[in-house]
Amino acid sequence: MDEFQEILQDFLVESFELVEKLDEDLVELENTPEDLELLNGIFRVAHTVKGASSFLNFDVLTHLTHHMEDVLNKARHGDLIITPDIMDVVLESIDLMKALLNTIRDTSADAGIDVSACVARLDKISGGDGEVAAVESLATPVEEEPAVEEELDFDSMSDEDVEAEIERLLNQRQDEDKAKRAAKIASGEKVPEVPPAPSEEEQKETSSSATPPPPPPPAPVKPVPVPPSSDAKAAAPAKKAPAIVEQTIRVDVKRLDHLMNLIGELVLAKNRLIKINDDVEERYEGEEFLEELNQVVSIVSLVTTDLQIAVMKTRMLPIGKVFNKFPRMIRDLTRELNKKIELEISGEETELDKSIVEEIGDPLVHIIRNSCDHGVEMPDIRVAAGKNETGTIKLKAYNEGNAIVIQIDDDGKGLDIDMLKNKSLEKGIITEKESDTMSDKEAFALIFKPGFSTAAAVTNVSGRGVGMDVVKTNIEKLNGIIDIDSELGNGTSIKLKIPLTLAIIQALLVGVQEEYYAIPLASVLETVRISQDEIYTVENRSVMRLREEVLSLVHIGDIFEVDRILDANEYAYVVVLGLGAQKIGLIVDSLVGQEEIVIKSLGDYLKGIEGIAGATIRGDGGVTLIVDVVALMQMAKGVKATVATQAQTAQISHEKLKASDYKVMIVDDSKTDRMIMRKALESTGITLVEAHDGQEALNVLKSGEHNFDAMLIDIEMPRMDGYSLATEIKKYNKYKNLPLIAVTSRTGKSDRMRGVESGMVEYITKPYSADYLSSVVQRNVNFKSEFL
Amino acid sequence: MSDKLKQIINKQAEQQDVGLDQSNDIVQLVGFIIGEEEYAVPILTIQEIIKPIPWTRVPQTPPYVLGVFNLRGSVIPLIDLRVKFGLGAKNHNDETRFFVLKQDDEVAGFVIDRLTAAIRLKKTDIGPPPDTIASAESMIDGVGKQEGKILTILKVNKLLERDF
Repeated sequence: MDEFQEILQDFLVESFELVEKLDEDLVELENTPEDLELLNGIFRVAHTVKGASSFLNFDVLTHLTHHMEDVLNKARHGDLIITPDIMDVVLESIDLMKALLNTIRDTSADAGIDVSACVARLDKISGGDGEVAAVESLATPVEEEPAVEEELDFDSMSDEDVEAEIERLLNQRQDEDKAKRAAKIASGEKVPEVPPAPSEEEQKETSSSATPPPPPPPAPVKPVPVPPSSDAKAAAPAKKAPAIVEQTIRVDVKRLDHLMNLIGELVLAKNRLIKINDDVEERYEGEEFLEELNQVVSIVSLVTTDLQIAVMKTRMLPIGKVFNKFPRMIRDLTRELNKKIELEISGEETELDKSIVEEIGDPLVHIIRNSCDHGVEMPDIRVAAGKNETGTIKLKAYNEGNAIVIQIDDDGKGLDIDMLKNKSLEKGIITEKESDTMSDKEAFALIFKPGFSTAAAVTNVSGRGVGMDVVKTNIEKLNGIIDIDSELGNGTSIKLKIPLTLAIIQALLVGVQEEYYAIPLASVLETVRISQDEIYTVENRSVMRLREEVLSLVHIGDIFEVDRILDANEYAYVVVLGLGAQKIGLIVDSLVGQEEIVIKSLGDYLKGIEGIAGATIRGDGGVTLIVDVVALMQMAKGVKATVATQAQTAQISHEKLKASDYKVMIVDDSKTDRMIMRKALESTGITLVEAHDGQEALNVLKSGEHNFDAMLIDIEMPRMDGYSLATEIKKYNKYKNLPLIAVTSRTGKSDRMRGVESGMVEYITKPYSADYLSSVVQRNVNFKSEFL
Repeated sequence: MSDKLKQIINKQAEQQDVGLDQSNDIVQLVGFIIGEEEYAVPILTIQEIIKPIPWTRVPQTPPYVLGVFNLRGSVIPLIDLRVKFGLGAKNHNDETRFFVLKQDDEVAGFVIDRLTAAIRLKKTDIGPPPDTIASAESMIDGVGKQEGKILTILKVNKLLERDF
């Protein structure tokens, strides 16, 4: 039973791949009915499936493919010209074959599908007594007879061959599996046989080397859209030495996924290593071992990156796998809609992560259906408009930086902006005011709004209740961006920009207060630094002028409910986010840098939190949340401006009206020392706050209760010493200019140097006179003499 | 010699019997304190107990969700049981622990005030929760009686269930 299952699995994988290729070939065949190589290739597919299914006792499938084979064989011998009507029947039979294969996959049996009607039609064609065939066929009945005979003869022979072949190949494969070697069919084993056999063998060759993917589909399948060449290879066994067949190995996708996860961990560890290396470098500058460490770190980092790319590549599939089904779809649509449409495909060899390839199919189907249905006009209208009667839809894929772009262009009627606006107004998607201020791009983007459908009449083709908004959601789920452009009368162009992989992305890390967030770099257009007075408030919203545009702003803290304890600096950083036509400026406190991050889910408990797409683990082991730019843009609409008002209040509190408005913190672990300082400063009337050590001082600062004008810091303290404290304080924008005064008995030159390095502005050595301390403090806080 | 062997085998058999008895009648729990009360969860639902480590706040969550933390490469939510039970937050101290509970594929960390002990309770010593709070929505699985103390046994699946 197990053995049967194994054979069955192989059979299914192989058949599905053959069938996939078949679709493309058949459409191609309709255009060039005389292409004998193409016909041969298609015939062999039907033949292979038939042979294998009869061996596995799938009678219904055998029955169907047998009759398909009859028709194709006739065509192959020139007894039959493939007309669109015949093609319809053939395509129908292929659909049935697919359905049967699906049933077999699910139930291990091929019952439940009625093929008799289709078989009858096939018979009609091949039998030559049917109307269709009789009219179309150029061959006389006399000529037909031998063809059938020959066919039968061929059939009985090759059936045995197929069985023998399958058994032999299976044995071979099992052996190879044991040996864990790439699937390689030894040419030496090939026994000299009757003519049909070598071609059969060759077909097996190509298909067996074509089967190993999911992940890396090897050469024979790759150049899909140029079927003649791939078929030529298959059709000319003599020219092609079996040894050249690309060596592949079939791997369970789960293993690759696991590998990808492990790489993810490794990337995290690498980031961490780099961070530690930087720290060590800072601390032990000039030491000899540093160079060695540097070398090792850079090698590890390099190899990790390469490894990541390599593993990513194993998961890559050419997008042709998705594009394949479109020629057939367009063909069916044109017949259904009575339009004339040509599909041009390019860049199908562009590779994408397997998981994305799987997700991208449906949105593309929808877009193309839309283009056919709503985009391209009826032939007579096209002619009237001075266009070519046949409409063209161009489907192309290409790489752009770290992303791949899929572009769908049609030369149809284009989008009518006024119509779009009116429709949206009617449906209440936008308001009158919005419609007036809307840019063209924004108007085009209306078709992605939920509840929008441009077709006046709902047709079978595209209008099925699911609109383009579903397409948009699906693309955005992949971290992709959708962009639309159109010219009235000249056509529409839709661009999908999709990241190469889902698991690891480039991100911009930004800081707000003490928190950090990662923003996917794909949606970051630019970053700018502006001063607070460049922010204007319009209708309760913050905006800024960015070159020629007015950009609406939102503070990341308002979106993520960050308590703003530490006031914003005089300057703000604005990250300009772009998603299609939408743009928004996100105000952050600091920009940390660009980093490669591994996306991790927040788990079931926290999933679906608005504005958060996931989390990542940073080099220091901490967790950083990843911003969901799509959701953020939505949320930004509901957030009121707080930026400007904040800055104002901060200004007011800096005004000093009396001596006690000045605040100085004394940080010292010795009570006596604190006493001495207090005594020295008491006479000035300055408000004094005490802390016992660095940690406590930092907490006081963070609590935001006080606004300090200066700090007196002892160096020797438990928990956190003065240097570390100073370094920590200087990390905050708000305290960049807070004067830190060291008060210590350490008098060494190197101590002073360290003090300066950590950001201390003054260095008072113990013992000191009360007056000296007081004067230093007064100087640093800009104490107004009239308060004395 | 063979007698000795027999004895040993018999002894082992006896011990196994005892072991079986235990697994049938005895529930193993780990007790912990939140506020003034002692609570417990079944020992097998605990993945690990760790000392507090830094975590990252997650916005748009109720106050009792402190955020997420990194447990050897996994991002795990952290829930403050004090806040969840309406007691108000408290600074973490030396006795504070993170309980990492796991059931099926759900994992979450819970902040507790103090660990007490591993507890073995006879099933007969565990009563149903008081009628007033016994409902499907209740987080309480039962009440254990132990030398004059009362122990609230929590439903782990309820703890791990998102309720916002």
